[in-house]
Formats: sequence, C-alpha cells, structure tokens
Amino acid sequence: MDNIAPVSPEAAVSKVRIEVRDLSKTFTMASKQLSAVDRVSFSIRQGEFVALLGPSGCGKSTILNMIAGLIPRSGGDILVDDVSVMAGQVMPQVGYVFQRDTVFPWRTVARNIGYGLEIKGIPKASREEQVKDMIALARLKGFEDAFPMALSGGMRQRVSLMRTLIMEPQILLMDEPFGALDTHTKLEMHEILLNLWERERQTVIFVTHDLSEALTLADRIILLSARPGRIKEDFAVTFPRPRNAIKLRETAAYSEMFVRVWHSLGEEFAATKVD
Amino acid sequence: MPNRLLIHVGRWGILLLMLAVWQWGWDLKPDLGWLVPNILDPYFVSKPSLIWFRFLELGCFALPQDVSAWRDPQGFYACVIAPSGSLWTHTLATVKNTFWGFLVGVSSGIVTGLVLGRSETLARIFEPYIVAFNSLPRVALVPLIIIMFGLGDVSKVITAFTLVFFVVFFNTYEGTRAVERDLINAAKFLGASEWQVTWTVFVPSALAWVFASLSPAISFALIGVIVGEFIGAERGLGKIIIEAEAQLQIADMMVALVVLMVIGVTLVLVFRAIEHRLLRWQRHHAEPS
Repeated sequence: MDNIAPVSPEAAVSKVRIEVRDLSKTFTMASKQLSAVDRVSFSIRQGEFVALLGPSGCGKSTILNMIAGLIPRSGGDILVDDVSVMAGQVMPQVGYVFQRDTVFPWRTVARNIGYGLEIKGIPKASREEQVKDMIALARLKGFEDAFPMALSGGMRQRVSLMRTLIMEPQILLMDEPFGALDTHTKLEMHEILLNLWERERQTVIFVTHDLSEALTLADRIILLSARPGRIKEDFAVTFPRPRNAIKLRETAAYSEMFVRVWHSLGEEFAATKVD
Repeated sequence: MPNRLLIHVGRWGILLLMLAVWQWGWDLKPDLGWLVPNILDPYFVSKPSLIWFRFLELGCFALPQDVSAWRDPQGFYACVIAPSGSLWTHTLATVKNTFWGFLVGVSSGIVTGLVLGRSETLARIFEPYIVAFNSLPRVALVPLIIIMFGLGDVSKVITAFTLVFFVVFFNTYEGTRAVERDLINAAKFLGASEWQVTWTVFVPSALAWVFASLSPAISFALIGVIVGEFIGAERGLGKIIIEAEAQLQIADMMVALVVLMVIGVTLVLVFRAIEHRLLRWQRHHAEPS
C-alpha cells in the first residue's frame, strides 16, 4: 500500500522530526511468536499534530513506546531528529504523557509540575514563577498545595500534562492521556491542550482509539489496522485552526470527515471482533 | 461511630479492675478459695502498692531515712548517680542502647533495602546469605556477641541491630521493588538521572513501607537490648529484671517492666507522629476534611 502522507502546506516545507521505517514488534507469548506491529513506516514533520488511531490491541501504544525508547523494537528503524532511537535512553527534546496516572502522589500539585525544573537545578524563585504560569494555564489555581489524592482524574492528568510541558519539549508523545476520563472532562482537556499547543506548536504524536478526539486535535490521522498493526490509511485533517473543541463538532466538514474515517475504522473494529 | 464515652469508661474500667484485683485479690483468698488463683500471691506478682513504693525508692524519690527527694535535691542527685546504679542510670543505659541499635539497624536496613531493591544482580547474589542469617533466631547469637564484644553497651547495640536490620531491610526492599514502572519512566522523561530517580521516586515511594516496619523495629530493638542485658551486662533494665529474679525481688522486677512499657509506648507514639507528618500524601494520613 502507498503510505505517502498527505501533508498540509506549512508542514510540507518544515523538516522531518520523526522518521519510522519498517518498524516491527513481535512478542513471545507462551513460546509463540505474536506479531503486534508489522512493518510500519511514516514520517512526521516539525509542528505536525498526528493522531495514531486504531482499535484496541492494534499496537498503537506499542509503536509510541518504541518511538519513546521505552521498549525495544524487533525490526526496522526509528529516527528522532536524524538520530536512531535506543531503547532505555531518554531524548531531552521528547516529552511523554502516560495513559496511566503518573503524578507523584507524595508531591503537591505545584511540586509535581516543578519536578523537572527542580531536577535540572533551576533556582526556586524562577521555578515557582514558571509553575505559577502553568497552574494558571491548566486552570488549577487554588490547588497548588493539594496532594494528588485530593484531585479528580481530569485534574491529575492536567498536572501530568503541565509537568511535561513546563520542560518545553519540542516533541510530545501522548499515550491515550484522556482515555480514562468522561466525555465532558475530555472536552475540557481538549480545549486546554489545543490552547497550549497553539502557543508552541510542538510536534505531537497522540495515540487514541477515540475518533472524535483524533479529529478535534490532529492535523493528520494515521489509521492502523487490527492486529498485527499496519498502516491502513493516512488522513489529512484540514479543519482551520485555532479550533474550538465544542463548536468544531457542529460543522458539516467535521461530520463529513467523521463518516469517512469511521467507515474505515469500522472495518477494523469488525476485524477485531472476529478475532 | 462508636460511643467515645463507652470506650473511655471501658479502658479505665479495665485498668482499675486489674489494679484492684492485683492489690486486694489475695486478701480475699481465705474467703473465696479457688476463685482466687494462686498466682495472685504477692510472693510471685507483688502488689501495686509495693511496686509503687519500690519505684519511689529505686527512682530516688524516697531517700533513706524517709526524706522526700523534693526536700533534698542534692540527696536525690547523689542517689541517681550512685556508683551502684539507680533506676534512672539503668533506664538511660537501656534507652541509649535501644536508640543506637535502632538507628544503626534502621539506617543500614534502608540503605541495603534500597541498593538491593534497585539492583537485581546484587539482590540475587546476597539472597542466600540474607535468608540464611534471617532464619537463625538472632537471640541465639547473643552469647556469641557478648563473647565477641564484651559485657558493655556495644554488645547490646549489636544485638538490637541484628534484629532491627532485617525487619527494616525486608520492608524497604519490597517497597523499592513495588515502585511503579511508569513513575520511574515519567521521572526519566522529565530529565532525572538514575541517582535522582532513586532519591525522588524510590525513596519517597518506599517510605510508606519503611514506616510500616518502624513500630515493630522499635519493639525488636528493645527485645535485643533486654535479652543482651539478661545474658550479661553491667547495667540496664534487663539487668534489674534478671537480678530481681535471682533475689526474688518481684517489686523491683515489676518497676523495671513498667518503665520498659512506658519507653516502648513513648517511642511508638513519637514515630506515629513522624509518620503522620511524612506520609501526609497518603489518604489515611490526610486531615479529615
């Protein structure tokens, strides 16, 4: 299949930040080889917001984790800024937001968000100033000194997000960060994320199984097939920016795009069922 | 919510009942016969009033010639530091040795637990030694420890240490291994080095496990010191107890036991307060809202 991505005009001129070539992953389970990801290739340019979309178990998180260097790959190559990714080695320009709640439960909201700066040895005064800005952006004012146990799931995930963004990563990898949240909270998170992204225009890979989420956020949707994960289609999402997460869903263009991708995604849902 | 009044009445009621039976139970023996067990004989268990008077004497509050310590501070001081030893010098020796055994045991237990918890290889190398040494009842080592380190305080500190170390080590080790993978990765993505991950993720995460081991560790430290003092010591509450046994001075023994109980309870309460402060982030330590 032809995997050349349709790119938006601005993205076409900017440089490639992430290059994935023939990426494969096989797991050994009960002495049987299980192919989770099968020869996946794509490249992502500076400032692109890309959603990796697919049914559960299609290997989309596995792909993301290989790009992040969290797990080793079985075949192929991944280049981040022209450097081959090594498993277990963290790249300073990459930020990662986990699916599971990973805020430090023993740190307050402010100290969670300031963690990376503290590690870097930034003096307390300038650290606190930056943290204050982040707390305002994440709409967490008044919760600075609260411990995570006192927060809702949505608030905790915002802390997670701000803790990553305060480090100003140029590349942001997000593994279904809002997967555990209810629809309403999710929409609020989309608004906050879109707002933040408009300021810096980081290069983003956002893993999700939620088509509405992918359409709301991304410039491009890479649709994966049911296991083993292969690229099925690569859609350009051309809704104008800045976007309004709620208003966008009322437009005809959104509905038209939704149906188009849904049709393709539906086939994969069906395939998962038969499995 | 249980009735708080009932709880208080129940608690104090049991104490008063026990003291009353202890004090006057034996006097009723001729009238009540078998209803009063033979072990209530003051020859075996003394009596609260006798213990109290003995406490005043041993504690230098009641000086010879019936002078109260309040009237004669110099006499009190001379009695406390008497070369034969007073209740307070013995108590101080036991507390001091407990403290050092506890401190050395806890700190080495935490460090070893963290190191082995972080390194699978080291854990595998040392595993058989730790299992073997821990299977040995440490109390059985006391005679050897006394031969090696003498009758002084060092042998007591070392006995307490061998007991405390393993409790704290096992808990820290488990706590370190129970740290969530994703928390470690999150810290690394935020720029933390291995060393920083240890300090900012492993240590606080294992802290709850460490604290769970501190209350038993206090008890173990006291056990170690007292057993050491039983077997051979120059001073300490354990020495008072073992000498009282030899001379059948039960009131002396009871005084030492009560002091030991007070020490144990005080130490546990202190650590609960520290734990409460350090583990504020955990739900059951949170202030009720």
